[in-house]
Amino acid sequence: MSDILFILEFAGLILEGFIMTVIMTFLGLAGGFVLGVLSALGDVYGGKFLKIIINAYVEFFRGSPLIVQLLMFYFSIPILTGIKWDAFTAGAVTLMLNSGAYQKGYFKGAIEAVFKDQLLAAKSLGMTFKQTLMHIVLPQALRIVIPPWTNEYVSLGLSTSALIVIGLRELTNISKSIAAQTFRPLEVYLFTSIIYLVWITVSLKVLDYIYNRVRIPGLEVTSEI
Amino acid sequence: MADVVLACEGLKKAYGDLMVLKGINFKIEKGQTKVIIGPSGSGKSTFLRVIGLLEPPTDGKVFFEGQDVYSSDMDLNMVRAKIGFVFQEPSLFRHLTALDNVKIGLKVVLGMSEEEATEKAMETLRLVHLEEWAHHYPAQLSGGQQQRVGIARALAMDPDILLFDEPTASLDIELTWEVIDVMKELAEREVTMLVVTHEIGFAKEVADEILFMDDGKFLEWGPPEKVLRNPSTPRAREFLSRLLGGV
Ligand SMILES: Nc1ncnc2c1ncn2[C@@H]1O[C@H](COP(=O)(O)OP(=O)(O)O)[C@@H](O)[C@H]1O
Ligand SMILES: [Mg+2]
Repeated sequence: MSDILFILEFAGLILEGFIMTVIMTFLGLAGGFVLGVLSALGDVYGGKFLKIIINAYVEFFRGSPLIVQLLMFYFSIPILTGIKWDAFTAGAVTLMLNSGAYQKGYFKGAIEAVFKDQLLAAKSLGMTFKQTLMHIVLPQALRIVIPPWTNEYVSLGLSTSALIVIGLRELTNISKSIAAQTFRPLEVYLFTSIIYLVWITVSLKVLDYIYNRVRIPGLEVTSEI
Repeated sequence: MADVVLACEGLKKAYGDLMVLKGINFKIEKGQTKVIIGPSGSGKSTFLRVIGLLEPPTDGKVFFEGQDVYSSDMDLNMVRAKIGFVFQEPSLFRHLTALDNVKIGLKVVLGMSEEEATEKAMETLRLVHLEEWAHHYPAQLSGGQQQRVGIARALAMDPDILLFDEPTASLDIELTWEVIDVMKELAEREVTMLVVTHEIGFAKEVADEILFMDDGKFLEWGPPEKVLRNPSTPRAREFLSRLLGGV
């Protein structure tokens, strides 16, 4: 432990890996956000056929390991389509699909927490379905969803380490090569864990701050129903 | 013929096999206040939702200011904007302050500017004696205050008629009065109102007509003194003796 500072020699590499981890997390969350909101709306307001498709999608991505999904997409899409794609694209797309499946559940709960009586009230004012969605449902659902959505942030952020299986150079992958090179796995992985921990802790504080900024008295009560 | 605001002919509404409204003829003229009473489950709320264009009828016609709503090419949302609705549960938008609850229809549906809408909404909140509560969220208001915001939200749209579905049924007794008082003030201002309520004092004082609904039909209707004192059907007699006897 005397020269734990050896790790600083690899600071540049580690930073590179960390940035990749953060980028993949944000891409997955952002794509998953769009997919999640759309799937939730489709599942709540859509027709029967649409609901079946959405639920099949969700079941698939929630019911199989992320690692299997990554391997399958990375290796099978080129075979099926003839389009070669890199680990970055394959990884980002898989994370988006995976996160969208989880986020759909959170958004569905939040959308349903906006009670029917408010939808009827909006209708009685003459609002169209789209106006009701934009002015009544989403502003409430997006606030209500923040606390449960935080779980998905943490979960996806840590799950990006699975990207190692398709060779993407994110934090875990880089750590692995440093550990192999220096023969000091304990120190290296401990350091890596601390990076994950600090990152997640800071992110949670930021999300909590955002939630408190946009929170509206009494609105959270609805979410418990 | 006076101006008929809202009317229906042969109105029927079924949910699956359950026939809830069984052929109703009805009309209400400008400036009138009509009160509907009747046992729970008789179809009063359903009637308001269907004649208020929130649900389509299974059969029959709805007329708004003489026009057959469902067979003309009227924009349903524009007609709904002209029909104010106050529900039993105060169904305020929970992410908006009292003021914004009143403003949102003005801005989104009627296309008013921010300043215009604010002015109109404040003016309407004053009518329901809530100008000091304008910046509070629904959860920070009492049930009676929420219900009055609901009235202001409907009223601010300058509707041609206001429909009330048991607006005081979920309120404590002392909160009932503040809502009823506001409704009386509206009746005095000749706002056209169709009210489902069992506040008989209100009905006696302001109703031009009381209608008794039972099993999806109006069994009896007429001026308050007649329907309340001298009901002609046994069903109405029974219902009223329980309603009034309990007081
Ligand atoms: N959306 C609906 N779906 C199925 N049944 C309904 C629906 N709304 C009302 N009903 C039924 O219609 C009947 C009349 O209900 P309602 O109009 O609420 O009566 P009231 O307001 O007089 O108490 C009840 O039997 C009720 O269960
Ligand atoms: Mg009812």
